[in-house]
Amino acid sequence: MKKKDIVNGLAVFLFLLPALALFIGILIAPILKSAYYSFFDWNGMGDMTFLGLANYKELFTSKAIGFMKALGNACILAALSVFIQLPVSLGLALVLGRGIKGEKPFLSIYFMPVLISTVVIGQLWLKIYNPDYGLLNSALTKLGLENLCHIWLGDKKTALLSVFVPTLWQYVGYHMLLMYAGVKGVSPDLREAARIDGATERQVNRYIVIPSIKPIIKVSVIFAVTGSLKSFDLIYVLTNGGPLHATEVPSTRMIEMLFQRNRYGMGSAIAVMMIILCFAFALLISRAFKEED
Amino acid sequence: MKRKLLSLVMAGAMVLSLAACGNNAGSTGSTGSTGSDPVGTTVEPGETPSDEDMASQDITLKMWCIATESDSNRHSYEAAIADMAEKYPNIKLDWEAFENESYKTKIKAAVSANEMPDIFFTWSCAFLQDFVDAGKVYCLDNAYQEFKDELPESMLGNSTYGGKHYGVPLTMNIVGLFANMDLLKSVGYDEIPGTYEEFIECCDALKAAGIIPFGCAGKETWCVTEYLESVIEKSVGYETLNDIFLGRATWDNADVAAAVDTFQGLVNNGYFDPNGIALGNDEVKANFMDGKYAFYMNGTWNCADFANNEAFFPKVKVAEFPVINADKATLGQLIGGPSDTLAVAASSENAEVAAKYCFELGKLICHYGYLDGCGLPAWTPYGDTSAVNGLTQSVAEICGNATGYVLFGDTAMNADDANTYLSYVDLVYGCEVDGQGFIEGLANDIR
Amino acid sequence: MANYNKFDKDVSSSKFNVKNIFMYVILIIWALVNLFPVYWMFTFSLKTNEEIFGKNLIGLPWDWRWSNYASAWKTGNMPRYFVNSVIVSAAAIALVIIASMMATYAITRLKWKLSGQTNAFFMLGLTIPIHASIVPVFITLRNMGILNSHFSLIFPYAAFSLAMGILICTGFMVEIPKDIDEAAYIDGCGPFRTFGVVIVPLMKPALATISIYTFLQCWNELMFANVFISDSKFKTLPVGIQALSGQYTTEWGPIGAALVIATFPMLIVYIFMSGKIQESFVVGAVKG
Repeated sequence: MKKKDIVNGLAVFLFLLPALALFIGILIAPILKSAYYSFFDWNGMGDMTFLGLANYKELFTSKAIGFMKALGNACILAALSVFIQLPVSLGLALVLGRGIKGEKPFLSIYFMPVLISTVVIGQLWLKIYNPDYGLLNSALTKLGLENLCHIWLGDKKTALLSVFVPTLWQYVGYHMLLMYAGVKGVSPDLREAARIDGATERQVNRYIVIPSIKPIIKVSVIFAVTGSLKSFDLIYVLTNGGPLHATEVPSTRMIEMLFQRNRYGMGSAIAVMMIILCFAFALLISRAFKEED
Repeated sequence: MKRKLLSLVMAGAMVLSLAACGNNAGSTGSTGSTGSDPVGTTVEPGETPSDEDMASQDITLKMWCIATESDSNRHSYEAAIADMAEKYPNIKLDWEAFENESYKTKIKAAVSANEMPDIFFTWSCAFLQDFVDAGKVYCLDNAYQEFKDELPESMLGNSTYGGKHYGVPLTMNIVGLFANMDLLKSVGYDEIPGTYEEFIECCDALKAAGIIPFGCAGKETWCVTEYLESVIEKSVGYETLNDIFLGRATWDNADVAAAVDTFQGLVNNGYFDPNGIALGNDEVKANFMDGKYAFYMNGTWNCADFANNEAFFPKVKVAEFPVINADKATLGQLIGGPSDTLAVAASSENAEVAAKYCFELGKLICHYGYLDGCGLPAWTPYGDTSAVNGLTQSVAEICGNATGYVLFGDTAMNADDANTYLSYVDLVYGCEVDGQGFIEGLANDIR
Repeated sequence: MANYNKFDKDVSSSKFNVKNIFMYVILIIWALVNLFPVYWMFTFSLKTNEEIFGKNLIGLPWDWRWSNYASAWKTGNMPRYFVNSVIVSAAAIALVIIASMMATYAITRLKWKLSGQTNAFFMLGLTIPIHASIVPVFITLRNMGILNSHFSLIFPYAAFSLAMGILICTGFMVEIPKDIDEAAYIDGCGPFRTFGVVIVPLMKPALATISIYTFLQCWNELMFANVFISDSKFKTLPVGIQALSGQYTTEWGPIGAALVIATFPMLIVYIFMSGKIQESFVVGAVKG
């Protein structure tokens, strides 16, 4: 019995070793260092001045930094992602996963936007939204809806939504593929049995497929929420936080502090807050899924 | 004639006090070279290597720059490096080019980790100042002695901190008022109007004819500053603006507030393309070249690009922005100055050789860059320069009559202040604050 | 597309009722929306700046400028960058697969006290924004002496994809019935053999998924690639493509061409792989 425990302990250690080494060495240790920087006033190269919690205090109170607003925007994105993007992905995964005609080509096509670099997606949407010759305004004009034409990315009122639409669209395929893998993992016998019992497609999905891919749905929800809180690339290309800070998210604030304003301490403080928030959300989501069981 | 223009440029440059960042940085230079700083000690200039030294040692120098293969400066770097390789066959230059925006992150990270190459490209004034303050840049005072005659000291102002020189300037650029003469002619103007009243009349005429006077990329705030800074300078005078940018005077200045209101008046009068707020500079520039705007205010580095477009080149002219308040400002007061700079790392093992090499290379890059129309030379031009394009020559003429330069605000101010300034410029362009709000906000928020 | 007829057996697709037609209309419209960027990117790579900026947004190029490809390919050393990107991505994927499968096995199938906490600890990896710790990571890599080599990208990419790998693995591994382990133990297999002989073969569907998602993180990554690599020999594609935009002026056509060069091989590999994924699902389904 004792020998078995030792073997087991050794096995745990050896199985975890590669992952832990990589994870602690490259992720955890540097981020702890960043957390340390967040207590200082530091431009990234010269002398460091200890500030205590002053960076954090400024982060939450300064209107100029606008962290709360950026966070609010990211939360809107997360909500849209969970309540609009994921259901679309799930719907596609269920339809394709049950083996319809043309399953494979549809699956490949729906995933393509994810594979295409954000630079391309960003440039494309800039052309769609362009106020002079953009596709959206041209289409509205052709439909006789000139009064709906807009400077989509230049107006504080429409910019946020205009930036979120492509962000959500691009990653529908991402979540779809994840869920599709789960749907395909559901035993065909189980489906067959349910069908023989007279269950409709909808009932099969509701009572058999969705419950069995719950772990994958949980993963998707976590990815969607943390991804939204960290979102950066497409927003950077489309508006870089403008106009007048209407589309700021925590990442755009962080990048500005770290690399444009040379406020390394403050940038690190934003990073730390993002990590804490993402982690809290991830735990909450896990809990919520556990309680459902 | 062309020769004469060049001598004019240089004559102008010699007598000017170019925006000297070092002047406001009394505390700056000392930190860069205090003995207590472990890195700072190596900053002290050593002996200048003689020509024999340069020719005898077999060494490799590393250089980082932003002359990527599609950059208009690429050719001048390649030509200059080829010349240097011929002159010093024993010195091997390993050079790498990186894209402009990502280079800023890269060089900062490299300075943080003390992993800099021997020679690196940098922007002058505030960008370089952080590196100098941290004691990471080699002082070039000794190496400069040999090049005094070819590189006027006035051109070093933007890379001088605490009285010491840390950078080799390459080209300089100013803000130019580019005009599409086809559109101006269509409303009866054969020249770019020289006075502000005429200029406004011209804008009104353009507007009446359904032509948008100005294109400006609101998505890239630096493009807005090209307009705003010119309006402020031509209202309050270059000395006032310079003092404010360099922290010698407060932003709380009623004349500046009035100038900002003037600018906002231009926006509210509908002289600017309202769509511009959502556009980037590439898009606005394409619109201008396409005949959508009558005027485009931007850096004179655009000359090469305009000159290369055969269809557009005959239509375009360049001038300086007219004087708004003749009591405070005059023609000849410009926005701009040398910003592209090469510097030597204090950590370089061959810092002395690198310093001398850096000067010679800079001189050649400047020379070839000027011939290519990439900007005006910071070094005294030499050789046959008659092939320089007409637009660049017009700019040289404007600079020849210059009486004062104010460096671009976001280059002159330190990184934090510059971004605060840019976000207020955004607010002005979006008409969220007026002139009073602008000066009050900046006076409060800039530390 | 005729090849896919073998999936015809499904009951619902043979019924041609209104509901099905409606479903196909939606699927096809959505497919067109998702194909459009591919078409657009391809035509954009053959255009001039003038066309790209408004004159000819979505039409076919006026003049098919294949020269854009020549100039993109000749700039810097694109073939080299391409190979580097492949090496770095492949190595990172391999590392993530090995490390995350092993870790997941320890977490989900071996009995020990802190397995739950360890899992939560790895979840931290999902939360860290890649840009946040660039300077400390840079210093770490310098101290390891691996700056300016493929490893300076492989390790960070793998580390940043690890949490995701473990999450995906967990999703699949908890589905494998515990009886299988028990049976293996009774047959005298230790944890190592159980892992190698019994679990790994059942994890095939997870492999494809992890590969794709890790690949997505590596292939277009710019920030690390830009900062950690200063030697052209090791530069990756995104850095090379960036070099196509100048400080003051940018020709967009060659950038489009470079993006096509970077993307299309991947699209083709993916289309090929998605077939493999389906096969692996069939294998995986046996386990249920």
